[in-house]
Amino acid sequence: MTQQILNAIFIGSIYALFAVGYTLVFGVLDVLNLAHSAVFMLGAVITYSLVALHGMPFLPAAVIAVLVCGLLGLLIEFVALRPLRRRNAPPISALISTIGLALIFVAIVEQATPGSFFSWLWQDGANSVRFPAGTVPNPTFHVLGLTIEGTKLLILITAVVLMLVLGYVIRFTQMGRALRAVAENRRAATLLGIQVDRVFASTLFLSSALGGLAGLLFGLAISDISPYIGRDQVELKGLAVIVLGGMGSIPGAVLGGYLLGLIEVLAFVRFGSNVEAGVAFAALFLVLVLRPQGLFGAQLRERL
Amino acid sequence: MRTGARAIVVGLALALTACGGSAPGASSSNSYQGKTIHLGAILSLTGAGGVYGPSSQKGMQLAVDKINGSGGVNGAQLALDVKDDNSDKAQSAQVAQTLIQQGQLLSLLGPTLSNSAVAVHPLAESFKIPILAVSTTGIHIVPDCNYPKTDPCKYVFRDSLGEESAIPADIKTYADQAHPKTGVLMVANDDKFSSDGGKIVQNTVSQYGIQLLDTVQFSKTTADFATPVTKAVQKHPDVIFITSLGGIPAKIMIEARKQGFTGQFLGGNGFNTAVVSKQAGADGKGAQSGSAWYINNTFASNAGFVQAYRAKFSSDPDQFAAQGYAAILILADAAKRANLTFSDVAGDRTKLRDAMESVNIDTPLGRFQFTSDHDVKQTIWIIQMDGNGGFSLVKSVTPS
Repeated sequence: MTQQILNAIFIGSIYALFAVGYTLVFGVLDVLNLAHSAVFMLGAVITYSLVALHGMPFLPAAVIAVLVCGLLGLLIEFVALRPLRRRNAPPISALISTIGLALIFVAIVEQATPGSFFSWLWQDGANSVRFPAGTVPNPTFHVLGLTIEGTKLLILITAVVLMLVLGYVIRFTQMGRALRAVAENRRAATLLGIQVDRVFASTLFLSSALGGLAGLLFGLAISDISPYIGRDQVELKGLAVIVLGGMGSIPGAVLGGYLLGLIEVLAFVRFGSNVEAGVAFAALFLVLVLRPQGLFGAQLRERL
Repeated sequence: MRTGARAIVVGLALALTACGGSAPGASSSNSYQGKTIHLGAILSLTGAGGVYGPSSQKGMQLAVDKINGSGGVNGAQLALDVKDDNSDKAQSAQVAQTLIQQGQLLSLLGPTLSNSAVAVHPLAESFKIPILAVSTTGIHIVPDCNYPKTDPCKYVFRDSLGEESAIPADIKTYADQAHPKTGVLMVANDDKFSSDGGKIVQNTVSQYGIQLLDTVQFSKTTADFATPVTKAVQKHPDVIFITSLGGIPAKIMIEARKQGFTGQFLGGNGFNTAVVSKQAGADGKGAQSGSAWYINNTFASNAGFVQAYRAKFSSDPDQFAAQGYAAILILADAAKRANLTFSDVAGDRTKLRDAMESVNIDTPLGRFQFTSDHDVKQTIWIIQMDGNGGFSLVKSVTPS
């Protein structure tokens, strides 16, 4: 059982990291960015392509992938969100335009042809690949009968450190204050001289960089990199996590991520896979009925 | 000059069929000349079945090119239209419908996954169009494609060895040699191919004195196998049986080795492709399964296939390529003997179906015939992953 709880903590870290980016955009822009799962996938896919096909060491490849994902966040802002905002379109339009971008991102990877950057997908017919052995040293520790993998430990540490840094940035820096001000009241923030468009752009950059990072860590630890990991593994679960934690709440997203990981693993161990997803979403349903504001919605008067 | 050449070709074809003696198509060779035999294949080129479909496609294309390059089928050229079903049952049925509606196809091939065959085969049966399954190994594919209805489907054939033959042969081979006492079954429960394989394992193990300690079910969309594998490994079994497809067997092997499992992996058709062996790498070494085909078989129809495949694709073929290749040879042989009219498609389809029942040719799988149930009866090759993306032969089993 202890091993299973460890398993839950590792997968929960990825859910949390993914959901933090998701909820950040929702908190600031009031828009659900459904392209977030496609950016998650690209984080893994770009890192893999650089490492396996272009012989780059893991660390620089990961940095490039995270930056590219951040830039894709800007693309989402400029292509899918800003034009609609200018026209005062309802939030549902923005949501749909991000779905469109997500489909385009997935299709670009899926339709890769030989010789192109993503040609690995085409090469051996396997559209699920993993990093070559030894990309990152992965010592496996056996402590008290428990198996702990180096890469998973790395994920846990990275996720926790990043979430603490993000918490600090949002609470105590100039940029964080601007973010919170815009989240609270867009018009008032504008009147106070905050450049709202710039805040939106940096939010998307930050959120997408985090999403990409979550994706590449997922690819590293779970050995599953394919065009579909975003859609299949985190899209709906991420949504469940941020609803569980309270829409727009960052601590809520973190705790929601770990909670979902734990619920899933315990449901699997106790009841088997038939009810695994069912139990997770039943928990979500319960929260929606009993505490529509999410587990952490009430304590947090302000957003983020 | 051209008519001269044509006369020679026709003469040659006539002479060849005359040599064949009793070939019923002999008198109709002329009507084949310059015609096209249209075939349609529904394959999973993307999605979970994407590790198998592209291999099937390459094998088929190789056979089509070979036959067309050496004069076609009595002078008629083969044309193969391949469509991707994205490993999705509903999409597979849609694609089949589209292909059938084109109206000129003589026969269909596929689909890649048993899960999709459940939708596609009854459709082909209802349109009276022959369909040859090239990689579906589940239960109730042939003859009862309309399961639970038990009346046999007349137009559905398969050239892929069923798991009902392959898995028990594999378990018996390993039990005879290593005498394992306990096992845990890991099975994907949302996919027909996988759950059929699981049922076969459950029904077989006790015959060989193996006690099944647990059955761990998971979803084929599972990404993190740590949780299900922990559940299996903590029972300390001698054998982990894996019945699942795509990259999943490899992922389970990797995770189980990480968690300290040192026993044996036994499985089904899901193991039998080089992509899976490559993904599993050193962690898959020794993983054993029953296969319809073995790359290093030296009989001529296999050696020639392997050589041609390597020359064209600069990579090794796998079982799915061999079965795809064999499927085209089977259809070409049947078409040659079917006395096709090329004017009455419905009539031609029935003639082709009748001719398929009496196919008896050499293929990379060995000598090939259909049983009266339209299933394949052939030697089973028990193979092991070699840890380097390939396989080695353990033994061959001739079914009784």
